[in-house]
Amino acid sequence: MKKAGEKTALKRSKEEEEEQNQIFNFNRKPADEDKDDDLSDSEDSVYSGLEDSGSDAEGEEGSEEEEEDDDDDKMKERTEEEVSEEKKEDEYEHDSSDEEDIRNTVGNIPVEWYKDFPHIGYNLDGKKIYKPIRNKDELDDFLDKMENPEYWRTVHDKQTGSDIVLSDDQVELVNRLQRGQFGDVNFNEYEPMVEFFSSDVMIHPITNRPADKRSFIPSLTEKEKVSKLVHAIKMGWLKPRRVEDDGRGRYYDLWASEDSSILARHRMHLPAPKIPLPGHHESYNPPPEYLFTDEERALWEQQDPGDRKLPFVPRKYSSLRQVPAFSHFIHERFERCLDLYLCPRQRKMRVNVNPEDLIPQLPKPKDLQPFPTTQSLVYRGHSGLVRSISVSPSGQWLASGSDDGSVRFWEVCSSRCMKMVQVGGAVKSVAWNPNPSVCLLAVALDSVVLILSPSLADKQVILSSERLLSAQQEGEEPAEGNGSVVWSEAEGEELNQGVRLKIQHPKAVHQVVWHAKGDYLASVMPDNTSHLQVYIHQLSRRRSQNPFSRNKGLVQCVSFHPIRPYFFVATQRSIRIYNLVKQEMTKKLQANSKWISSMAVHPGGDHVICGSYDCKLSWFDLDLSTKPYKMLRHHKKAVRGVAYHRLYPLFASASDDGSVIVCHGTVYNDLLQNPLIVPVKVLRGHVMTHDLGVLDVTFHPTQPWVFSSGADATIRLFT
Amino acid sequence: MSQIQARFFTEDKRYVVDDVPFSIPAASEVQELSNVINKLLEAKNASHSKVEFDFLVRGQFLRTSLSAHMETESILTEEVVEIEYVERITAPEPEECMMHDDWISSADADAEWILTGSYDKTARIWSTEGKPVMTVPGHTDVVKDVAWVKREGLTSLLLTASLDQTVLLWEWNSERNKVEARHCCRGHAGSVDTISVDPTGTKVRLERARQKLKRQQRTPLMTLSGHSEAVSSVLWCDSEEVCSASWDHTIRIWDVDTGGMKTTLTGSKVFNCISYSPLCRRLASGSTDRHIRLWDPRTKDGSLVLLSLTSHTGWVTAVKWAPSHEHQLVSGSLDNLIKLWDTRSCKAPLYDLAAHEDKVFCVDWTESGLMLSGGADNKLYTYRYSAQQAEA
Repeated sequence: MKKAGEKTALKRSKEEEEEQNQIFNFNRKPADEDKDDDLSDSEDSVYSGLEDSGSDAEGEEGSEEEEEDDDDDKMKERTEEEVSEEKKEDEYEHDSSDEEDIRNTVGNIPVEWYKDFPHIGYNLDGKKIYKPIRNKDELDDFLDKMENPEYWRTVHDKQTGSDIVLSDDQVELVNRLQRGQFGDVNFNEYEPMVEFFSSDVMIHPITNRPADKRSFIPSLTEKEKVSKLVHAIKMGWLKPRRVEDDGRGRYYDLWASEDSSILARHRMHLPAPKIPLPGHHESYNPPPEYLFTDEERALWEQQDPGDRKLPFVPRKYSSLRQVPAFSHFIHERFERCLDLYLCPRQRKMRVNVNPEDLIPQLPKPKDLQPFPTTQSLVYRGHSGLVRSISVSPSGQWLASGSDDGSVRFWEVCSSRCMKMVQVGGAVKSVAWNPNPSVCLLAVALDSVVLILSPSLADKQVILSSERLLSAQQEGEEPAEGNGSVVWSEAEGEELNQGVRLKIQHPKAVHQVVWHAKGDYLASVMPDNTSHLQVYIHQLSRRRSQNPFSRNKGLVQCVSFHPIRPYFFVATQRSIRIYNLVKQEMTKKLQANSKWISSMAVHPGGDHVICGSYDCKLSWFDLDLSTKPYKMLRHHKKAVRGVAYHRLYPLFASASDDGSVIVCHGTVYNDLLQNPLIVPVKVLRGHVMTHDLGVLDVTFHPTQPWVFSSGADATIRLFT
Repeated sequence: MSQIQARFFTEDKRYVVDDVPFSIPAASEVQELSNVINKLLEAKNASHSKVEFDFLVRGQFLRTSLSAHMETESILTEEVVEIEYVERITAPEPEECMMHDDWISSADADAEWILTGSYDKTARIWSTEGKPVMTVPGHTDVVKDVAWVKREGLTSLLLTASLDQTVLLWEWNSERNKVEARHCCRGHAGSVDTISVDPTGTKVRLERARQKLKRQQRTPLMTLSGHSEAVSSVLWCDSEEVCSASWDHTIRIWDVDTGGMKTTLTGSKVFNCISYSPLCRRLASGSTDRHIRLWDPRTKDGSLVLLSLTSHTGWVTAVKWAPSHEHQLVSGSLDNLIKLWDTRSCKAPLYDLAAHEDKVFCVDWTESGLMLSGGADNKLYTYRYSAQQAEA
């Protein structure tokens, strides 16, 4: 295809050449004459006397004309003749350029240089070309003009001084050129374009010619040149161009002597703020939605001029001609000037900061192993949402409390439900006694806190926990401090199920939590109107006390400090830390969130995390500040539970969006080094039920495993 | 197509071919190679019937095309390749399904009888044909592990370990079908999760899920303490050595004469189970990170993993070496699958047995080629495994 194109192109160019040749043959003289025309306009007078001469040229012309006359009937002969003529013709004739007149060899010089000579130049043979005898005066000219029918087509050739009568073809050509048409009648300027390069992608390249060998080998000449240059540089012949020292003279600071304060003012120029561009409502013919309705108009009129959104009422006119003058023009200009004058302008300092630099350099999660990554076991059996879970200190058992009114005990490694206790009410919170030498579980439901002995441990442990529960009976009678909390022994069926003690509270209990030693137990009864929101119970003496005499807000959750005698109380917006020994508040942490949902204390005791219903997780460094050291907003919905791992630097948060996010949080002993917090894994698995996702989260005491309980009635273990 | 020079050899006398190099297409796979061998055997012996073969190149099973395998193993294709062939291991065939009343925690089988422990607090004895023979009640809590001790004629000794912190030694007469409790071994301060009987059948090793291992006859002979967390599995390597795996990420090997610890192998995840093969002297461990790892217990420095077999998607809860084959082992996992492995094909298991509908807790493998698996779907499956393979 390309080939064909090339061929046609080739053919076409040949034709063109031929045509050109023809044109050239025809036009050679006319072209010259053309020029002469131009020239004669300006220099007519010089050669006015020469016009008549050049009979030889005329003869030539005549013969050619004759030939052309014969054209019509003797096409063939003529072409043959042409061909033979062309063959005879010497190539320099074709070669000549337009401006060169080959009959006169003097070249392109002003003709007046020859005005004092009898000749006008030299022909190709070196003979003088004589000027025609000046025998034509004005009268002759006039007569000529009157009599000679050819006069109008006779032109004067200044170069040879001869008069030339143009043939019909030549006249036609001149006419065509004057009309701005192509010289050749047969030339079709609208021929279809042959596309050399088309938009089609073809399988072959335009040329299949293999690349030259020299394209692949280093050029020897270049090498030679380079080596010469290198040699010259080595020898010190070639030196780098000296930089012109411009320190003195040529350029100087025009404003050097100017007062610097003026300059500074120029530099500090603040452009006036731009007026916003007019909108559609300012149009004389706004779209109907921009026009005020009656109510809008009434509102606009009622409003204070300062409060109006628009300073005018949009109006519609059928044409611009009918728009009246803007009545507030002066007023508006005045306001603008007042604004510019009264409102100070401020230079905004913008610091160019690379956004990448703002991201802290965190280690990669895979360097922070181990942390839970995949769901391993699902503990199925509950029929209601599982509100709370707790793992035994040994890590062998898991207790869960659910809205279906049961507490279940699971074997961690096999997801087997080993025991189920029906407590007869939605369980709000369960907590396993952290003391490994006893095996007790505190369960909060309604207004009762139950102490269960699940008997899932060594006989010795079971015995010691029974002893702990019954120790008080041998001692003095319970001192009913305020009478609002009643301790009672479980009996009958409940006893068989493992319930040992019931602590009756005046109001619904929401949370129970153990002290690390396992003797004290705190319960929370959120109530905005009373100061009786938190109770601390001592198990061995069956005593309860309310540590707070004043209501500081709705208590959400409480926690004991793992080592020191501190007590953390989280209300809606803040966390208060009380010293239990001194009976005073030591610190108040501002959570910066609207409603705290959960709280966990770091096993070291110096850090607290709290989750809130507005999707935030705050990390407090107690040594650092009362403000959160870090806020994590990774969850999309309310955070329901947070937990620290006892051994590994891990913490987890559970949210209503069905995910548990595990973060790595290394705490350093060095006070100067801030904790390193890196989110490492999002664990999904729980199914959203009634818009609730994961309700509680807790870590295995010894392994980097995390348990989560959800509204879908399952508990999941991620390892 | 490129050709590879290969020489075939085998250990199996029945299928020997001439020891001359053949030129075979590099892209040929197991089936084509198997056809080649069958052709050769037919040419030699007209009565040969077609046998499926598997091929080993430098001790690795061929699973892809020959050229791809050699590329991954970086074996030069210019030389003559030595290809060993063995008769293909046929898939284990499921035989019996024994229904229990509750989850099956453990199984131990010998040539005639199967002993299973269940979460319904009993142990059961079954015949290998799947007939229930005996139920052994007596524990007050879940039976976690069971083991045969020895058999003299019709009388067998068996052990059951339970969450109620005791191990019971029973004497069972198969003729009268009567079981008698002989001893109750106490001493653990926690549930007993695993027991193992020493090869001579005189001492019992018993395990506990709480940091200490105890070795008992009637009263504890010795307490092996050192683990910081629950011990998940224990076994006798030989009559002098005991090996235990724990949740504290270590496998420890103990000398029973002195009671001292000989070696500690440290892993990075919780170990659920271990198994030792006297044939290849390797330990196989299954852990919570889904891998089965092979260890050499003789190394002193301890943390060398020889090989990881990865294909399970849940915790590996049970692993067992083949009693009669040095390369094969079987594993069970929480992803409901049993997998049969050959250590020469570490990328993928030989067979997946997907019989269980719930978590698998135990697997066992008898000398007679019977494989057992039990799990949380209350079913104990037995599989017959081609016996002649055991000879190879």
